[in-house]
Amino acid sequence: MLFFRSEERIALWCRGRGVAPNPSVRMDQLWHLAVTWYGTRLQPDSRRPAPAEMRGIFESIGLQGDFWDPRADSFA
Amino acid sequence: MDFDTRVKLAIYHATAEVGTPPRLEEVARRVAATPAEVHQAYARLGASRLLVLEPDGVTIRMAPPFSGIPTQHEVRVDGVVYHANCAWDALGIPAALHRSAEVRSRCEQSLEPLLLQVGPEGPEPSTWLFHCLVPAARWWQDIVFT
Repeated sequence: MLFFRSEERIALWCRGRGVAPNPSVRMDQLWHLAVTWYGTRLQPDSRRPAPAEMRGIFESIGLQGDFWDPRADSFA
Repeated sequence: MDFDTRVKLAIYHATAEVGTPPRLEEVARRVAATPAEVHQAYARLGASRLLVLEPDGVTIRMAPPFSGIPTQHEVRVDGVVYHANCAWDALGIPAALHRSAEVRSRCEQSLEPLLLQVGPEGPEPSTWLFHCLVPAARWWQDIVFT
């Protein structure tokens, strides 16, 4: 999970590793995720979003598709 | 409040104070328990993905969003220097602390420095991007790599 200056640099970085670029995330979208995941982390009742919640969180900021689908995730 | 929550909060509050996760003995002191009791709580918190431990089971590698080791993602808040586990966690630190922050990182391709001011409502306008190589379903198969 890394920062890049532009889509072009993401493409260059991925090409150098022989992998396809994935959907990029804007800073305002990343802030939404940061607040959702960590906004209550220092409070007694904090917890990580469950997989079913995660899909809705991603979709709410326009991150859709299999790449953002955590259904195979498990807390076991 | 249950014991594991007390341990978790002791870890996070100690980290928030100084920038790096505490040693197990410090956590035990803060919750007035034995190191053995805290060690057992660490294992449970790790299973819940609230901590990532080193192989010794007592050294905290990650108390997300905080990193237990230096990384390229440096976050300064009120004179305290933190390291984040990843770009997401770099914004996660001011979100967790509810404080303004200065985030220093880099473009992974060009190594151009990133300097980003983060206020109470989020980061200043920026055209920088976040990219993740690993799909969401596989993040925890190797969270350090992710």
